[in-house]
Amino acid sequence: MAAPTANASLNSTTYSPGEQMLLTVNYGDADNQRLTVTVTVTDAQGNRSAPVSVTAVIDPLTITVADDSGRTWSRVSDSGAVAVFRAVA
Amino acid sequence: MPRVTVTVRDSASRTASATVAYTVLPPVLGGYYLSGGADPTADMAGGNFRSLTQYRSFADAYIFPGYQRPWLVTLGRAGVRLNMVLELKHYGAPDTGPQTFSVDGVTYTVPAPAMTIQQRPGTVWPKAYGYGQVLAGQCDGLFARALSQYRTMGFGVNIQLASELDTDHEFGTTEAGKAYTWAESDARAVQAVTYIVNWFRAKGLPQDSTFSVGLGGFDRDCFRRTHPEALMTRLNYLQWNVYATSPSHTALERFRRTKDWAVADLGPVALSRPVLIAEWGVRVIEIPDQAAWIATVPPAIARLNAERGPLIARTNYFNSGWGTLSPKATGLAALRAAYARPPYG
Repeated sequence: MAAPTANASLNSTTYSPGEQMLLTVNYGDADNQRLTVTVTVTDAQGNRSAPVSVTAVIDPLTITVADDSGRTWSRVSDSGAVAVFRAVA
Repeated sequence: MPRVTVTVRDSASRTASATVAYTVLPPVLGGYYLSGGADPTADMAGGNFRSLTQYRSFADAYIFPGYQRPWLVTLGRAGVRLNMVLELKHYGAPDTGPQTFSVDGVTYTVPAPAMTIQQRPGTVWPKAYGYGQVLAGQCDGLFARALSQYRTMGFGVNIQLASELDTDHEFGTTEAGKAYTWAESDARAVQAVTYIVNWFRAKGLPQDSTFSVGLGGFDRDCFRRTHPEALMTRLNYLQWNVYATSPSHTALERFRRTKDWAVADLGPVALSRPVLIAEWGVRVIEIPDQAAWIATVPPAIARLNAERGPLIARTNYFNSGWGTLSPKATGLAALRAAYARPPYG
């Protein structure tokens, strides 16, 4: 099993009070895969059911954000590879 | 410096972390000045006004808080940070002669002011105590009087020496019959300001006492000449004034002009000092919509403070002269709205 990777950057180094801060996280894991299983049932006469799909994530990843000044960071978006968080300076 | 740490964890609890540090600047203090040094309490009430400029002449017997200005003590005790501009300039009271007075039991005699400044052709040149008089110790009584009154205030202030040395020296100065060029006047002022700051700093001062030297900031050479590193080690702020007097003037360019000169010309001690804008204003003749211009100030200050160089810490709107708010209610509302926003809020 591979270890995850993470990289974080802010849209600035210095903020005025009240300004929006954006944190971009690039992350991944070589084992992390998203797969879809589709099942179709066929009887002896050859009748087929409608296909049913389920998705599964192998080695799912969770992201946590901690700020030692106590600011709350909320998730704006997450593509599975890039997540963006927002806080107020 | 706050730090934010991101941790990515997989199903087997293997983790990867990344940490980024950032800085949140202290809020900029929005401030004010009301024409004539009048009581600004009503104008400031309910707004995020946290800074105030006042002007006093060392020649006057009432410097702190000033003649019939008990409201200044009230505002200061309420946490409004005061920028007291103390000038060697004589404000033109009928008596410009020598003064004899007592301070805490000591009698001082100070000679008549011997210098003229602001020597614009075709105008009456104001009198001021001369830089030579200061260096000769002849004005020590004025400083003692100011200090004695300052100590009764109960809080520290910023003492800005001179309002605008560039305006004072632009057409040269004359002291005791000898004429000095603009550059010579700047050099003499640096010596005199150094003397005055040293004089005050050698005494017991209220906590949080700070010092700066006053400049309009419209002349790059003068700004450089009046900010040598040796003097800046004794001062706590950089200072300049900002006016919009043309329809083409933007807040960003007006606030940044002197900053850019400072960053290019001044040494590391000077650039470590925050900036106190003692006056800023929008002249209504050229810019009828003062409110719209005022609304552009917060983002301009935020942007300048995000760039390298000294941080702008206080900006005091000059509701007088070039900055007169007209109509006043509209201008004040714009000022309140601006000071409620980052980087002020």
